[in-house]
Amino acid sequence: MKTWIKLAWRNIWRNKRRSFISIASVLFAVLFAIAADSFERGSYEMQIENMVMFSTGYIRIQDVLYEDEPSLDHMMMYDDALLDVLDGFSDRIEYTVPRIEGFALAASDRRTRGVMVMGIDPDQEDRFNGLSERLVSGSWLEPGDESVLLASGAADILGLDVGDTLVVIGQGFQGINSSGLYPVKGIVQLAVPDMNNNMVYMPLAAAQWFFGADDMVTSLIVMPDRPRNTERLAGDLQTALDDEWYAVLTWQDMMKDFLRAMEMDMAGNKMIILILYIVIGFGLFGTILTMMLERIREFAMMIAIGMKRYQLALVCLMESIFLSLIGVVAGVIITFPITFYFNRNPIPLGGEMADFMAEYGFEAVIPTSIDPVVFVSQAVAIFVIAFLIGLYPVYKVFRLQVIQKAK
Amino acid sequence: MTVIKTENLVKVYNSKHLPVRAVNNVSLEIEEGEFTAIVGPSGSGKTTLLNIIGGLDKPTEGKVTIADTDITGLSDSKLIDFRLKNIGFVFQAYNLIPVLTARENVNFIMLLQGRSQREMNERAEELLTQVGLSDKMDVRPNKLSGGQQQRVAVARALASHPRFILADEPTANLDSQSAMNLLDIMWKLNQEENITLVFSTHDQRVIDRARRVVTLVDGSIAKDEVREPVVPAQ
Ligand SMILES: Nc1ncnc2c1ncn2[C@@H]1O[C@H](COP(=O)(O)OP(=O)(O)OP(=O)(O)O)[C@@H](O)[C@H]1O
Ligand SMILES: [Mg+2]
Repeated sequence: MKTWIKLAWRNIWRNKRRSFISIASVLFAVLFAIAADSFERGSYEMQIENMVMFSTGYIRIQDVLYEDEPSLDHMMMYDDALLDVLDGFSDRIEYTVPRIEGFALAASDRRTRGVMVMGIDPDQEDRFNGLSERLVSGSWLEPGDESVLLASGAADILGLDVGDTLVVIGQGFQGINSSGLYPVKGIVQLAVPDMNNNMVYMPLAAAQWFFGADDMVTSLIVMPDRPRNTERLAGDLQTALDDEWYAVLTWQDMMKDFLRAMEMDMAGNKMIILILYIVIGFGLFGTILTMMLERIREFAMMIAIGMKRYQLALVCLMESIFLSLIGVVAGVIITFPITFYFNRNPIPLGGEMADFMAEYGFEAVIPTSIDPVVFVSQAVAIFVIAFLIGLYPVYKVFRLQVIQKAK
Repeated sequence: MTVIKTENLVKVYNSKHLPVRAVNNVSLEIEEGEFTAIVGPSGSGKTTLLNIIGGLDKPTEGKVTIADTDITGLSDSKLIDFRLKNIGFVFQAYNLIPVLTARENVNFIMLLQGRSQREMNERAEELLTQVGLSDKMDVRPNKLSGGQQQRVAVARALASHPRFILADEPTANLDSQSAMNLLDIMWKLNQEENITLVFSTHDQRVIDRARRVVTLVDGSIAKDEVREPVVPAQ
């Protein structure tokens, strides 16, 4: 085997310039493919992370009917029985974030407006999305408070400030009427304009009382100890919970549409890379073909003196693989530090996109992905191409006529 | 002992116009230790005959027996193995693997035979010294003259311990000095180590060295004579 490797290795350097050109073409293909893939994947990874961290959470437990019809009538029990079950997973759950969300009418002495009332556990909510950092005046909620935090847009519209009283009127669980007077304890500035004009936060207990929904929440976000344990934990939670009432969703379940759109978008990119690979493939094939045709006499001689055809075929196959492998390895060696750098120092976005992202509270940057998949998939793709190309000389070697040529 | 035996060998090439009987009813026996030249005009069938004897080509009719093995019916892969174990080849050109040094070229055939590293090293040095290339062992073929390349090919042919060596016009591409030098080496091997050698040639001085001369004309044996060869000057 050592000899075959030695032969193949020396053979590819017989025509240095030609081999360098082939290797360079593979290298640039890998470079381009990795860069394109890394940037695209990176920007999606960031979007997903933003959504998971600010909105969906990794896992969410809710009533089975809530996903199709998110109404207060489809709340779930958030009682000792559920907490007992969650206790059983305490070593696998980092923390949980209960929420109760419903529409209501908010009024000041001057204006009335539809708002979204969200009952939160102030500590857990803050841990989840850092809401307290968005406080612009007043102070943060305590769990036992009977007061609210008002989003700044809504506060402006209603003409309210810290210390004023907000009137909230709505419908609670199963249509009961509910109303209450709540002092405004603080004002928060939210990034998403829609939310900033509509959000009213209240401590969970106060919200449960307001909606007439003791021991109930609309959803419970569950953060696993490690993100990669999400699937397993969700599965185990679903098993432990009564599936007649409780649905356990992962972020993939919650972002189905987004993920599908992402797949489609990435497929477009893959097409471009595929075409690139086809071009590179033909270049490599040309090299392998000439390398073979100019050595037909040599091959015939080797078989004549007693080299088995499969041995010679193996050498030819290795030549093709070596050529591409050098290109792939060089390509990865060059691109890894680059993608790593841009992963740590993401490229800032400019223009509209940047404003848009900033509004949603996301950092307006595109980091590259350093997911090994990016590198491995390109390497594997090139390897497969090289292997397929290498099959041609293999085929030829098995059909080679020894006479006439071995003169 | 008879090393090579051909019986009524016929090789017909079906070219576009007429079929050509390149070898026509050749029956030949070559004994161990013989030094045989196959001669004849161009197109007389020398190469075709040697190819069939060497298991590189199949006869249209007749049979070839090499030391009790009828090779006419062997499959391609069996033939490759048979050649590896029984026959040493020296071709007119393109003998050596260009990316391997002289030593590695000689080792190559032993490697195919699965010999030990130690045996290969010893034998390669011994043989290359024997053909006068002790100072060129680690040189690649493109740095060797034509004559030196042919001598490496002879060393390689010997390395596999073959029953005989076949050489189709081994001197055709060499100047006369190198040609005689190669012949001297082959002759010495034959004399001192009883190596069986069969070679084809056009060159009268080469023919003069042979003990047995088989003359082909139009694919048939026209003359087969044994005589006293011209011995190289010491
Ligand atoms: N592959 C082939 N197809 C058709 N005809 C062939 C083929 N090989 C050889 N011949 C013919 O067979 C005859 C014998 O050819 P061969 O090469 O054996 O002669 P030779 O004695 O070796 O000649 P030279 O001295 O020129 O090498 C010639 O007439 C040649 O044209
Ligand atoms: Mg000939």
